Amino acid sequence: MVDSAALTKKFQKEMNAGIASLVLLSVLDKTEEPMYGYQIAKLLEHYSGDAAFMKQGALYPVLHSLESSGLLESKVEPSVSGPPRRYYEITPEGRETLVIWLGVWKQMKSFVDRAVKGA
Amino acid sequence: MIHSIEEYLDLLKAELQGSDSATIQDALADAEEHLRAALAGVRENQPETSEEAALGRVIEQYGSPDETASAYREVERLTPPGLARENQRSESMLVRFFAIFADPRAWGALLYMLIAFVNGIVYFTWAVVGVSLSVSLAIFIFGLPLAILFLLSVRGLALLEGRIVEALLGVRMPRRPKFTQQGVKWLERLKLLVTDRLNGKMLLYMLFQLAFGTLYFSVVVTLLSLSLSFMVSPILEAITDQGVAGVIIGDTRYFLSPPWYPVLVIFGFVLLTASMHLFKFIGQLHGKYAKMFLVTE
Repeated sequence: MVDSAALTKKFQKEMNAGIASLVLLSVLDKTEEPMYGYQIAKLLEHYSGDAAFMKQGALYPVLHSLESSGLLESKVEPSVSGPPRRYYEITPEGRETLVIWLGVWKQMKSFVDRAVKGA
Repeated sequence: MIHSIEEYLDLLKAELQGSDSATIQDALADAEEHLRAALAGVRENQPETSEEAALGRVIEQYGSPDETASAYREVERLTPPGLARENQRSESMLVRFFAIFADPRAWGALLYMLIAFVNGIVYFTWAVVGVSLSVSLAIFIFGLPLAILFLLSVRGLALLEGRIVEALLGVRMPRRPKFTQQGVKWLERLKLLVTDRLNGKMLLYMLFQLAFGTLYFSVVVTLLSLSLSFMVSPILEAITDQGVAGVIIGDTRYFLSPPWYPVLVIFGFVLLTASMHLFKFIGQLHGKYAKMFLVTE
């Protein structure tokens, strides 16, 4: 018996691994001001509608790893209520990388579409 | 069902056991920042939602502690460990022994042990006066409000002590007063306040703090002055040409000969370093003890 729910969850997780970096870089590329995690999560919620593709908690480790590879920069600022917030901003290297990644994504998308359709 | 953000953080910490300490710290800071912001967002948009339901929804979106932990572990597995971690491993015992001076926890503990003396006196006085007033005035009609006010003040002081402990000893303590259930009548709420077992524990903590504060203060002052005078006395002796570092037995005074002076300075320094380790250790113990008495399980 195949546990399709668990398999779907695993499939989703494996796909998210790469896509999350692309999405986060794009979001931060478009905004003018640095954003903190909750703002980014809210914005993604707005894009995804009811179908949540990944848990919001999984965004943060991706943000950290993008930061440690130099594609993002962050600074911590105190907030009026609650603990201080970490604001993320894209770096010039991040913008360059994003252009390349978008190219890869475009090719990948058309490849997958064609393979799935079989045309 | 998770009832508070603190509980979520504790669960997340437990799930991340064995991961790099920096990863754990990041994960906890991220979760706390997000959950607090999200909870405030829900409260603003849907004020009628109960606190628990709001927290449940926020956690549902953020991910359960084990889901979040696995996301961090995954990323940690893919990125090579930082340099800092390898450096730490290659350090020798001797370097680690003296590195205590760069350890903020040791300095924090030292400061805490000094402050605890003053705090202890204030807490003790407040607790004794409050309890005796509440008990002896209980026969009057205004005795009850007084007792309730006193209990509230104990809550406040316990929260304050928790903040001091977290800042100086690095132990996570509650940042807000205990989660109160919404929609409960004030009489019920009063009953909950009065019958809470935590009151007793907080009061005991306040009483004991005088003894601990006095002990900590004497230990700190004794060790610091002893080790500092070992280090300084040979220098003073060399300058003033007076016997400073010596022992008096009967009518005879014994002094160390000058070649021994450097040994005395080194001994003082080693004693100071060892004291710093002791302060850090006491600080950690006290942090655990404070958590036991001031936080609900």
